Amino acid sequence: MNAPRSTSPHASKSLFAKLRSWEAFLTFVLILVILVNSTLIPQYFTISNQINLFQLSIEKVIVALVMTFVIINAEIDLSVGSIMGLAACLFGWLFQNGVSAEMAIVIVMIAGGLAGALNGYFIAFVGLPSLVVTLATLIGFRGLARVLVEDRGITDFPDWFDALGQQGLVGPIPFSFFAFIVLFTIAFIILHRSAFGRLTYTIGNNREVAEFAGVNTAAVKMKIFVASGLVAAFAGLLYAARVGAVRGDVALGFELDIITLVLLGGVSIFGGSGTMVGTLLALLIVLNLRNGMALMNVTGHIQTGVIGVLLIVSVVLPRLDVTRIFKSRNPRGTRQ
Amino acid sequence: MKLFKTLCIASALMVSASGGAMAQAISLNGGEDVDMVLLPKFLGILVFDQANEGAQEAHAELNNPGELLFVGPTPENSVAGQIEIMTTSATQGQGAVMLSNNAGDQIVPSAKAAQAAGTKIVTWDSPIPSGEGEDVFVAQVDFGSIGEVMADMALSILGGEGQMAILSATPDAANQNAWIASLKEVLAADAKYSGIELVDTVYGDDQSEVSYNRALALVDKYPDLGLIMSPTTVGIQASSKAMQDEGLCDQVKVSGLGLPSEMLSYTLNGCAPEFALWDFRDLGYLTYYTAYGMATGQLSGEIGETFTAGRMGDYTIEEDPGRPGSKRILMGPFTVYTSENVEAAAN
Repeated sequence: MNAPRSTSPHASKSLFAKLRSWEAFLTFVLILVILVNSTLIPQYFTISNQINLFQLSIEKVIVALVMTFVIINAEIDLSVGSIMGLAACLFGWLFQNGVSAEMAIVIVMIAGGLAGALNGYFIAFVGLPSLVVTLATLIGFRGLARVLVEDRGITDFPDWFDALGQQGLVGPIPFSFFAFIVLFTIAFIILHRSAFGRLTYTIGNNREVAEFAGVNTAAVKMKIFVASGLVAAFAGLLYAARVGAVRGDVALGFELDIITLVLLGGVSIFGGSGTMVGTLLALLIVLNLRNGMALMNVTGHIQTGVIGVLLIVSVVLPRLDVTRIFKSRNPRGTRQ
Repeated sequence: MKLFKTLCIASALMVSASGGAMAQAISLNGGEDVDMVLLPKFLGILVFDQANEGAQEAHAELNNPGELLFVGPTPENSVAGQIEIMTTSATQGQGAVMLSNNAGDQIVPSAKAAQAAGTKIVTWDSPIPSGEGEDVFVAQVDFGSIGEVMADMALSILGGEGQMAILSATPDAANQNAWIASLKEVLAADAKYSGIELVDTVYGDDQSEVSYNRALALVDKYPDLGLIMSPTTVGIQASSKAMQDEGLCDQVKVSGLGLPSEMLSYTLNGCAPEFALWDFRDLGYLTYYTAYGMATGQLSGEIGETFTAGRMGDYTIEEDPGRPGSKRILMGPFTVYTSENVEAAAN
């Protein structure tokens, strides 16, 4: 809708201009990865592999949706992995102490919202940097998770709970996949089609200006962090259902993978720009790349290295003058 | 072990004499084509590389035209990485996954899915706690015998009597606590250990620096201390270094569970004259034979089944006493390392 602030003489809607966007670049990379995978790996296009590909990372992918809001808003949430771990462990602990699984899910979701609210309070109302606050809660929530279950593993959840994570809901397609589609649609509409989404960008671009314009920035930030806590708790429950057991180290270190997905999607770490589609493309790239490398027996260290190079490229490319071919979208982030 | 072998041979002879009425050790046919994956807890740990060497040795010996892969996750991604590799192996249609489990019961759904896809799951080093999704566990040692091994090393180093202190990992490390309890039981049970006085148990948190300082503190606190027993590879190495750095090796010796490669110099210079561990090469070798036998259908995996694992001799599948309902193969006793054999094992 808005013309990109490009020095190009071409019209914004021309194919040429579209090719220059970060999303176009990501689409190109995605097609390349899929082509390579399908050429080299006979099992790649089987239904079971396509489902595995999603299911193995579905929790991270879901949290990445909210992380997109957090980073566009020029904040960071390092505590999501710990909230996932705490949610899974709290669920296990409650269940082990005789609380029904249904009730435990409700309590865990409330706890996730509270965890997010705690982050939000210190960031939005006390005014502390989110890097510091969520680093502290990363440690704190993880500690709490470990206190709850100690070194034990808790398992033997009800069959319906395990089935939800491990079996197909419709045909072979699991519940978590549908949850992702629904959450993606909601996130897309809020970010790109609502006033709240516009405020998220505005605050991310310049908080002072937004405040002078009468925007209640604290309320927006609070809502985003509560959402982050809720979705992380939900993802933690999905994880517990998928692996059928919890331990103190559930989702340890996931926050960095999640942030990587979002940054690779073209969301600026300085806030104010990025799109849901960018995040979606980035996670499709990383999922397919990881799956391909795993099926080609590429070992863990090299996989991490490849993703690392990809991230460096994604951060450096848009900042290099030479690479204006892959110029980012306009700073408002509204879709073209 | 020798006795066990002799017994096996003797019984095998008897069996053949009596016309094969009893189960005989199954001799595995080589040359069958089966792809297998050796999946360690994570990469970059020496003992897992050694297990891989053992598995590769068996792979070559059995002339398997298939592929033996050694793939693992990074340490910071161990749990999710193991689940991912397990899932991928099922997709690839691997004949067997040999797993040193670091994911607890979280590995169960993916391991079960792999079994459903026809992949055999043989665990080694660390089993699946519930035993679900696992065909058999190749156990390195009988952990019940660990107390006796440590008591005997103490007896030999102290020459019958003297003061001993334990330097363990963390106060709540389940393995170490069980082993220390076992040591205390053995010390109390047999009169031949009555000269050994256990004066203290301290914890080095499995960190070199902390363990090093705790070892020195023990020497200050107990002037007559003759031995530090450390049932952890970090603790034993740090204690040895502390005694060596302070020139205390004539007075206070170190023993426990350690890695030959890390303990080589301390064993040769007399700071840690004896220590114990199991051989990870042998563990990888035996695990490969087990997995190969099961993946090629030559072994059914039933309790009581006996087979010959190449150079290591005969092994029998039995119920795991620690995990009722699960199956295990017990590799054998601890290897006690001294200046005689440590060099060969260190390379």
